[in-house]
Amino acid sequence: MMKKTLNRKIVISIFICLAFFYLIIIFLWGMFMNPAKYGVNYADKLVGPCKEHLFGTDAMGRDMFNRCIKGLSNSLVIGLVASVFSSVVALIFGIASAVLGGVTDKVIKLAVDLCMGLPHLVLLILISCMLGKGSLGITFSVALTHWPSLTRIVRQEVLQLRSSQYVKAAARMGKSPFTIAVTHMLPHVIPAYLIGLVLLFPHAIMHEASITFLGFGLSKEVPAIGVILSESMNYITTGKWWLAVFPGIMLLIVVILFDLIGETLKKLWNPESGNE
Amino acid sequence: MKKKTTALITATLMLLSVGCGKVANNVSASQNTDDYESINIYIGTTVFDNAMDPIKGFMSQGYPFINEPLIQVNTDSEYTACLAKDWEISDDALTYTFNLRDDVKFSDGSDFTAEDVVFTYEQVKANQANNSKADLTHLESVTADGDYKVVFKLDECYSPFLDITSMLQIVPSDAYDSTTFDTMPIGTGAYKVAQYDANQQIIVQVNENYRGEKPDIEQVNFIKMDQDTAYSNAVSGQLDVVMVSSTYINEKIEGMSLHKLETMDVRNVSLPTLEPGTMKDSKGEEHKVGNAVTCDKAVRNALAIGINRQEIINNAFNGEGRPAVNFTDNLPWASTDDYEDNRADEAKELLENAGWVDTDGDGIREKDGLKCAFEIIAPGNDEDRYKLATALAENAKDLGIEISVRNDSWDAAVEEQNTTPIVWGWGQFSPTVLYKLFSSNMFLEEKYANVSGYTSPECDAAMDRALSASSSEEAYKAWKEAQAICDAEYPYLYLVNIEHSYFVKDNLDIKEDTQIPHPHGHGTPIICNLKDWVLN
Repeated sequence: MMKKTLNRKIVISIFICLAFFYLIIIFLWGMFMNPAKYGVNYADKLVGPCKEHLFGTDAMGRDMFNRCIKGLSNSLVIGLVASVFSSVVALIFGIASAVLGGVTDKVIKLAVDLCMGLPHLVLLILISCMLGKGSLGITFSVALTHWPSLTRIVRQEVLQLRSSQYVKAAARMGKSPFTIAVTHMLPHVIPAYLIGLVLLFPHAIMHEASITFLGFGLSKEVPAIGVILSESMNYITTGKWWLAVFPGIMLLIVVILFDLIGETLKKLWNPESGNE
Repeated sequence: MKKKTTALITATLMLLSVGCGKVANNVSASQNTDDYESINIYIGTTVFDNAMDPIKGFMSQGYPFINEPLIQVNTDSEYTACLAKDWEISDDALTYTFNLRDDVKFSDGSDFTAEDVVFTYEQVKANQANNSKADLTHLESVTADGDYKVVFKLDECYSPFLDITSMLQIVPSDAYDSTTFDTMPIGTGAYKVAQYDANQQIIVQVNENYRGEKPDIEQVNFIKMDQDTAYSNAVSGQLDVVMVSSTYINEKIEGMSLHKLETMDVRNVSLPTLEPGTMKDSKGEEHKVGNAVTCDKAVRNALAIGINRQEIINNAFNGEGRPAVNFTDNLPWASTDDYEDNRADEAKELLENAGWVDTDGDGIREKDGLKCAFEIIAPGNDEDRYKLATALAENAKDLGIEISVRNDSWDAAVEEQNTTPIVWGWGQFSPTVLYKLFSSNMFLEEKYANVSGYTSPECDAAMDRALSASSSEEAYKAWKEAQAICDAEYPYLYLVNIEHSYFVKDNLDIKEDTQIPHPHGHGTPIICNLKDWVLN
């Protein structure tokens, strides 16, 4: 029994490392890619997948493989910014809400309900349009709309901690709420928080791709999976399948990997599932 | 966890399939008997986007199919009779007299008389805000002289008035209703609206009261759908005519053939001629104007002569369209001063003489530390303009000019219209477009108008002469002069005279010999001779 658990943990850890490695490679590869690699080349218009162009080329002769990598890399940047921002907001709001209670708690709970009450996609489109679309609009809209669920989780955790003995003891000893929050609560909230952070990623990326696909996000000249997929719609009917299939699969893989990493971390760190 | 992953997979798959999931369900094959001929056509969405009421400017670019104007344009861009038999312009060019046909009936059976003409023009004049296409500000009075003669009096000479009479279509004075005419106009044309389903389809049937020869095709169904959906419907044999963008022109559809039709529609890029700064319009509002790179005439001139337009067309449009250096020759007022392009060496010399030299070896010229680089906006949801701008950017690289292309909404583009080059589309019979593009009075006053900020008193004077000319010949001459003055400064970089492409069923004859050169209309103008079409 013991041996099996150990093996499984090692296997899972290796898997997580590989997945992270894959994502980091895509991220860095896209970040430092020479724009000429996905530039226009009219000599090779609409070439199917082949050795030179693994994912084929589009109507302007742009190499779809490099465009995909660059696009995913862009998505990862947006996902990263959005997740970090959302999670910091969630952490502050969650702890503040639970520790301070009273009016603060009410206001934050109201804000959470307000954000969750609106259909997410509509909220994204509204914010993105308001900020003039483009990468600015989309980053803000994704960042500003992903904090509520995580806030709830953090608040719940902190509420539980607040009634524990050592927190009460610290309070009696005259420690300030801020010190209590940082020294006694934060360490306990961190695991749930990190898992939440990782699990935000796939949502952020999917949402970025979705609203870009719908035309409210990144504009045509930016390599992005949403742009690539919406462009490919014009070509699918004439049998240029590679324009949609490969980028779609690449997006799917990234999203699933993040989701798996998050779910696996949850299993590893959650003490209750440790004995499974 | 499984649930969540599945949800994510489904979401991605949905993303992939949204575009192709919309299948046309509204192509109705009604009354398919032997002698009743009906066709389904997709000609873009222009007819669906506007109210069908001529008073509100419907189809005022010269290809109406329900209501008819007094005169119409023929295939040589000359005016010929339509509801008017003939017309006369007084020597002082202030009085226009039209003799009307006496054998015309509206589709509701009522007679067409001078009263209807008077009614139509007075309606438009009273509701000018609803109709920006037929500008009747110079019309002083319109009176009926008997049942079949109409006299227009102008308050000052305005030569484009004749163009207006070819654009504004007549509605019946008794039956006119502003609301019902939005969807069910009553007209004198060969067809009448039988059914109007907003944003789905418009069914037109033969007007039994039409004076001329009865059209061969009894019913035409205009279908609204997305371009890619329309293409798939054509492939599966459900459409008889389908307008396609250049993306599709190399495809083959069984039983259909590709027709490329001539247009008067040009695509050009505005190149702001002013130094960067701010200027005030007549209301005192401040606007940012000018562009640091394109304000140099050498850059504008070098682009105009140095790029290879044919290559740009081949790259961007699969060869659809013709190179253009000014407005098209099928317009009587358009400049015919064509020049050769692809003179790269000459262009480079021009740039070097002006001080644009590549000193750091990155392939882009500089002058006083300023890179010879600018941005072009390809506005709206128009894939073709984006492709065109990208192909231009590729071509301009050879000259050492770096152009980056940005796609943005029309709203955003208009905000920057006086500072950033934009890809425009122009094409109409009326030369008033020149006034809009070149007149110093229009600068900063209206969106889309004179965005390059080019102003010249000589050009203004020539255009004033053209507007107040008493004969067409005189007006055309003056318009050409104005273009010659303006074109010498290259405020606009003309690129292509586009063509409209359609897949047409082999058993349908769209009579290319009676098609007028298509005005700007995103594919819709093919219906200009709908009544001549024959289904074999």
